[in-house]
Amino acid sequence: MTRTHKFGITVLGQTFFLITYAVPFIWIVLTSLKKSTDVFDSSKSVVFTPTLEAYQRVADIHLLQALGQSALIASLSTALVLLVAVPAAYALARSSAWWSVAMLAVLIVFQMIPQTSTVIPLFKVLGNLNLLDSLAGVVIADASLMTPFAIILLRPFFRSVPEAVEEASSLDGAGSFRSFWSVVLPIARNGIATTGTVVFIIVWGEFLYSVNFFMTPGKYPLSAMLAQQVSSYGVNWSGLMALAVVTAIPIAILYAVSYRLLKEGLTVGAVK
Amino acid sequence: MKKNRFAFAIPALVLLSLFAVFPAAQLVRMSLSEVSLQTLNGNWVFVGLENFRNGISDGSIPWGLRLTLIYTLIVTVLGVVGGFIAAYLLRGKGRYASIVLAIMVFIWALPPVVNGSVWKFLLAEDGLLNLISRSTIGQTIPFLFSHDFALYSVAVVNAWVIIPFNALVFRAAILGIDDQIFEAAILDGASKIQEIRFIVIPSVKPASLVLTILTIVNAFRSYDFIYVMTQGGPGTATQTLPYASYSQAFVQYNFGAGSATAVVAVLLVVVLAIIYARNVFKEERS
Amino acid sequence: MAFSSKKLTAIGAAAVLALGVSACSSSTDENKIVVWHYYSLDNQVEMLNGFEKTFEAANEGVNVENVYIPQDQLNSKLIGAVGTSTGPDVVIFDGYSATSLAASGALAPLDDYVSEFADAGQISEGAWAKLEDKTYSVQSYVNTLGLYYNKSILDEVGAKVPTNQAELEEALALVSAAGYEGLSFAGQPDLQGAFQANPWLTSAGFSYESPNVDSLTKALTLARNWVEKGYVSAEVAAWDQNTPFSKFMLGKTAFAENGNWQLATLASDAEFEYGIVPMPFGQGTKIYLGGEAEGIASTSKNKDLAWKYLEETFLSKEGQLQALDLVGSIPTRADAASEDAVAKDPYLNQFSTAIADQGTPFPDSVIPPKNTETVYAEAGTMWSLALSGQAEPAKAAAEFVTKLDTLLK
Repeated sequence: MTRTHKFGITVLGQTFFLITYAVPFIWIVLTSLKKSTDVFDSSKSVVFTPTLEAYQRVADIHLLQALGQSALIASLSTALVLLVAVPAAYALARSSAWWSVAMLAVLIVFQMIPQTSTVIPLFKVLGNLNLLDSLAGVVIADASLMTPFAIILLRPFFRSVPEAVEEASSLDGAGSFRSFWSVVLPIARNGIATTGTVVFIIVWGEFLYSVNFFMTPGKYPLSAMLAQQVSSYGVNWSGLMALAVVTAIPIAILYAVSYRLLKEGLTVGAVK
Repeated sequence: MKKNRFAFAIPALVLLSLFAVFPAAQLVRMSLSEVSLQTLNGNWVFVGLENFRNGISDGSIPWGLRLTLIYTLIVTVLGVVGGFIAAYLLRGKGRYASIVLAIMVFIWALPPVVNGSVWKFLLAEDGLLNLISRSTIGQTIPFLFSHDFALYSVAVVNAWVIIPFNALVFRAAILGIDDQIFEAAILDGASKIQEIRFIVIPSVKPASLVLTILTIVNAFRSYDFIYVMTQGGPGTATQTLPYASYSQAFVQYNFGAGSATAVVAVLLVVVLAIIYARNVFKEERS
Repeated sequence: MAFSSKKLTAIGAAAVLALGVSACSSSTDENKIVVWHYYSLDNQVEMLNGFEKTFEAANEGVNVENVYIPQDQLNSKLIGAVGTSTGPDVVIFDGYSATSLAASGALAPLDDYVSEFADAGQISEGAWAKLEDKTYSVQSYVNTLGLYYNKSILDEVGAKVPTNQAELEEALALVSAAGYEGLSFAGQPDLQGAFQANPWLTSAGFSYESPNVDSLTKALTLARNWVEKGYVSAEVAAWDQNTPFSKFMLGKTAFAENGNWQLATLASDAEFEYGIVPMPFGQGTKIYLGGEAEGIASTSKNKDLAWKYLEETFLSKEGQLQALDLVGSIPTRADAASEDAVAKDPYLNQFSTAIADQGTPFPDSVIPPKNTETVYAEAGTMWSLALSGQAEPAKAAAEFVTKLDTLLK
């Protein structure tokens, strides 16, 4: 009897979350299929004549270009972030020296600094390095933005790699880096993949740096196209929602593909 | 013998020193100077703590601080607890749970302008929630246009967007608990509540620490939702520190004031960061 | 193993490629002009693209590149770009930032070009933005406010089209009693709120030359009163200019204070009879002449070509009529404004009348350039505070005037 009772509560709870998240989700999809005049009409909330107008409007060469840019920026940034954050998180996980504590605290502070405060100084820095209007500039900026977050998130994963395994490896004569590469990384790979996925998703939606550091419209990613749907002269609701759906599809695919990793993935990480 | 792993942190230190330390230093410098559109490219006049003094005397910093603390409290409590509950409910590998989780993550991945706009509609006077409210309790709730409700409404939406991420991390932590422990507990006759209290919650403690600090930081710097949903209004009801900082810098072009406001928020988090870092290491040493 | 060296090499190669390909970006090409703008609406973008085609067709070998930048990022990006010499040639920005941008050195003085411009006299005096006797930008069209009304509703309840505030209030009472929404406008605490508040404030006697708490209080009390009476939705304190207009389009709102850029939407989508009158608030009512301004960036290497572009597009009679046709913007050239398209159009000529009788430059010339944005942000906040009831009108007014003491020095 307790079984079914518990089952009922669980399903109730799951359904609560389903409703809270599915209703807006459905709203987004429905709105993307509406004529702009129908958007504000509450009598046309659910029953209306659907149209692919909004999608047709946004589906042009610019969309593909922007999609490509988003993909490039997100993957390169994620790669760079992982490149620097993975070893750093390992260092912080294995050391309890004063500099570790300090670095962790400093990373949290960096994580705190609003993007709106960093965009102008970074503009100058990138300008001096001749990296404005370049993919490299935006990638570096996004990577610097996400690295503190990645390190903070990765650290617990490395904590849970048993020290014994590393010690065994060094007893076998392997150096620090060798142990790290061949022994520690494979064990932590789920955590790394998870962090990478999360970073990718966040950078995919990043907009402030892209819009400020690119000077040529052809280089704008999807997030900038989204911004163009909103202005003080009016908001193109159906266009905005259509673009939102388009923007989120690659993410949904990525999530589905990495679901298995995420499912079991974070396992090793935050447990101990 | 503990090997020094400092070398592993060097790439990160290099990247951050070049591209994170300099902007942070500029932020502090700007907060101590008078900087407008006219002087942005030229010399910044050093004015000491004047921006901070002005922010305090015109009320924007104390008011913003108060709103930010309330906002952060709501986002953190709802976000972390909500994330945990969602994770627990969706820990199963069944189809239903997977679908719900997938939709939640999809929502989390959407940009704030989309999520904020959707809720702006749903919470409007003739939006879905008020339609329901009017037909059930006969009241229209001024979610976003009353100064009594606006802050809470935006905070709840912010929490709602964060919950999926927290749920993912919590869920994995829960899945990592050894099944044998649960079996033993059932044999001992433990109730579900006891299971949760004595097994699940302690096991996700490291995850909750990380998520709590990340959620607090996120809430403390969150201005996107306010920007999309209320523009700091109605009146000044949602002028939290991050929003005020953005508004001062990018709307009023008073970069000095905007930086000072941001610095105040950062200083508060510094305190938190130090507490967190020390606690984490203390925990782990034991 | 997750990190095969193959994967890393591939990523590395892509990075190098991307770096190399995008390293050369600046345009010192003397046949190219880069135009920065924040146009989002389809018709605005169409207008700009039309200008690009026209100019390229008339000037062989010339290339025009339009770059979209979100409105709230444009000014700071422009300043940053000027600082790093990566800026545009032509910049189309929010007119009210003209003096502010000029004072920051981002715009090039246009006096030499203007003195050679044959049609300079066609453009109204107030459309040129001047700082310290130098001209820095020009508005080729204005966007301003009027009072739209839903004739079907007015006829139904027996209200007449108001010509003064008392009549407006009467109409609102009738309309409200019949279950319709009364009047909608923007009340959010920012520039849009301040823009729409102006007719209310000025008609009550407020001016930036001599800010007066009593007149402000009078204006705020009236507005708040109408909210309390139900003539204006309580949501107004959170509205921008466009949401209330979308609701007006549904046909259940009697009046909407809104701009000429909405005319196109009304013409194509309205399912009711409508009309427009200048804001009927009486003597002293002022409406800001908003809209975008065009200027040339101080770091532009192609200033002559940039000016030629402006002359042949935004500042030409055909160009201004294009803007009128596509976006409903009112031309600042006398010859364009006197065309039948404006003069004989019953709606547009209401706006022309409004501009003639009530128009006032934006920003107010009394405000020091560096405080322009702050003053209007504070004005918008005061407006929203009073409308939402968060502050008593007298208190909100007093606080604002105190702030003005420092801001207007």
